[in-house]
Amino acid sequence: MNRLPSETTGAGAAGVPARSARRLGMILFLLSLSVLFAASLAGYLVVWIRAPEWPPAGSPPLPAGLWLATLVLLLASGAMHLAKSSIRAGRETAARRALVLAFALGLLFLAIQIRNWNALGPLERSATSALFGFTFYMLTGLHAAHVLGGLIALAIVAARARRGAYSASEHGGIESCAMYWHFLDAAWIVLFAVLLIGSA
Amino acid sequence: MNGSTAVADNYLSHGRGFRSWFFTLDHKRIGVMYLASIFFFLILGGFFAMLIRTELLTPGRTIMDADTYNQVFTLHGAVMIFLFIIPGIPAAFGNFVLPVMLGAKDVAFPRLNLLSYHLYVVGAIFSVVSILLGAVDTGWTFYTPYSTTTHTSVVSMTLGAFILGFSSIFTGINFIVTIHRMRPPGMSWNRLPLFLWALYSTAIIQILATPVLGITLLLLIVERLLGIGIFDPALGGDPVLYQHFFWFYSHPAVYIMILPAMGVMSELISVFSRKHIFGYKAIAYSSVAIAVLSFLVWGHHMFTSGQSDLGNMIFSALTFSVAIPSAIKVFNWLATMYKGSIRLDTPMLYALSFLLLFGIGGLTGLFLGALATDVHLHDTYFVVAHFHYTMMGGVLIAFLGAMHYWWPKMFGRMYSEKAGRLAAFLVFVGFNLTFFSQFVMGSQGMPRRYYNYVDRFQSYHVLSTIGAYVLAIAFVVLAGNLIHSLFRGRKAPANPWGSATLEWMCASPPPHDNFAEPPEAGDPYDLEHLVYDESIGGYAPRTAREGA
Repeated sequence: MNRLPSETTGAGAAGVPARSARRLGMILFLLSLSVLFAASLAGYLVVWIRAPEWPPAGSPPLPAGLWLATLVLLLASGAMHLAKSSIRAGRETAARRALVLAFALGLLFLAIQIRNWNALGPLERSATSALFGFTFYMLTGLHAAHVLGGLIALAIVAARARRGAYSASEHGGIESCAMYWHFLDAAWIVLFAVLLIGSA
Repeated sequence: MNGSTAVADNYLSHGRGFRSWFFTLDHKRIGVMYLASIFFFLILGGFFAMLIRTELLTPGRTIMDADTYNQVFTLHGAVMIFLFIIPGIPAAFGNFVLPVMLGAKDVAFPRLNLLSYHLYVVGAIFSVVSILLGAVDTGWTFYTPYSTTTHTSVVSMTLGAFILGFSSIFTGINFIVTIHRMRPPGMSWNRLPLFLWALYSTAIIQILATPVLGITLLLLIVERLLGIGIFDPALGGDPVLYQHFFWFYSHPAVYIMILPAMGVMSELISVFSRKHIFGYKAIAYSSVAIAVLSFLVWGHHMFTSGQSDLGNMIFSALTFSVAIPSAIKVFNWLATMYKGSIRLDTPMLYALSFLLLFGIGGLTGLFLGALATDVHLHDTYFVVAHFHYTMMGGVLIAFLGAMHYWWPKMFGRMYSEKAGRLAAFLVFVGFNLTFFSQFVMGSQGMPRRYYNYVDRFQSYHVLSTIGAYVLAIAFVVLAGNLIHSLFRGRKAPANPWGSATLEWMCASPPPHDNFAEPPEAGDPYDLEHLVYDESIGGYAPRTAREGA
């Protein structure tokens, strides 16, 4: 057992969980979220398989802006990685800048997604084509909601970084946040791939 | 020394007032708050049950009209499932006991733990508000398309269940991390108390199944509000997809309910048989096996929903396989009792009730898992009786056993054994009277959820209703006894039952920090070294007694 002494008592005196506990907690949380996305995709697949025609005739193509959104999200995830490696090396200013960059890229991602939704147009009322639109909004909307949650967490972490709360030895917030953004990235890529195949 | 210093500062006296409780990070206080809330909803759900049973005393109208009846049985189910039985044992006793059993000061994430409780309260408020806005009448399963078209407050109730799901996930994460990272020196995985193995397996299900309920209820809410969705056939959707989604969570959820109950059983049977648990590893691993299998059997709720024959056969076979780990547990408990010196204290009476009632509940499940018989029994009172034998005869009985077992630890007081045993006896009699008659009428074709019935079923319904009243009396005795003990009970020693798990090594009630130093953990079922000490009215390690 390679447990550090501080970990055997878990929560420290200040109620701060040990690093390994925090990491494991994050992994479990992300596992839980993966099931959420997997279930949503399963729902999409069932609707797709049951539909007489998919995509329904006359449905608009997927907006090209989705590719741009993918790029921006990847960059945001890269910025989070930069923030983590900077703080590990003790470069606090660089870490702070990377956090702000990640936040800006996350906001940009949401803005592009809103444009993409507008590009697809309002939901149609005829049954099957409405479902095509609905599943698109459902999947991308679910993901966007999680990006929004990530932005809130990132804002808190960035504010704490400004106050100098993180150091080379203690930066659990940045680490957890980075894990979450990498997850958003991975979830988006799977989701986008399924949507691409589904609308081809 | 043992008792007197502990009385000076324990978790109950550590801070006073509403805020010191409602915003506490102490897992013990959070556990007590859960216990109080959960018990309140047990009483509320029980109240709805009494209304149902009273209505069914006679065919046709007895005390309410048919629409109200639909609302009452929905509320009974929804309150009992989402607010009592799912959080039940893990949230109340798990929270209180888990860190102490590990010799730790708290769970891994105390703030997240408090958040879980607050989410529980918010979810409960949404659910209760739905009663005032026009109580749901869909049945607790919210099946579409009825749930997307009825004029009752489905949105509020499902939103409540959605929020409760978060509470459940966070509790699960907390427990797994705590068990992984905070075990004391000497506690390898094979020395983990079986209650914690059960909570661990439960937490796996909570984390991996609950999100599916989340997305399902979200889609249901969207479909109701926007009129576009994937469940309504009129909109091109598929109502059976809803059933798949719903049961993909809700079947594992019955193991969220029963696994902690089985964990309680493992503790009770060993302690009150004064014998080391038999087949420790088999019991521990069968908990994990049940958790894994629980994800593969959801389709058995849809044998009559138009699933393919092949699908039905596969789900039926998998369903039978769940019987294996369950039976492993039961036989190991029996083997533990064999040649033990069994003490019939109140917790043990509940444990014995569990063995018999859960046995009946489990075995009748086989008839429902078999395709040929299920077509006849589906949606009859046989299902209702089966479900209550496992969930009430299993989980609720274990919940009551756990309550009587850990009560002295939680509140530092002993209740009256005589009244405790009387209540346990009344629960047993009332329960069987209520539900065994339902097996009989179900097998004869009485459909579940019906407001009216033909005359020949009336004698069974009358028996069932009398049983329900006996249960109500039992609960009055039970609650009266426990409440009385808080004021008049004898002070509890640290280890009244002679258990070897760590929570009995600190005072009753435990001090704010549980343990000053992490204790050394030994075999949690080595009861030999504990002997009864007349002077403290409880058990103490043999060596310490000889040294004194």
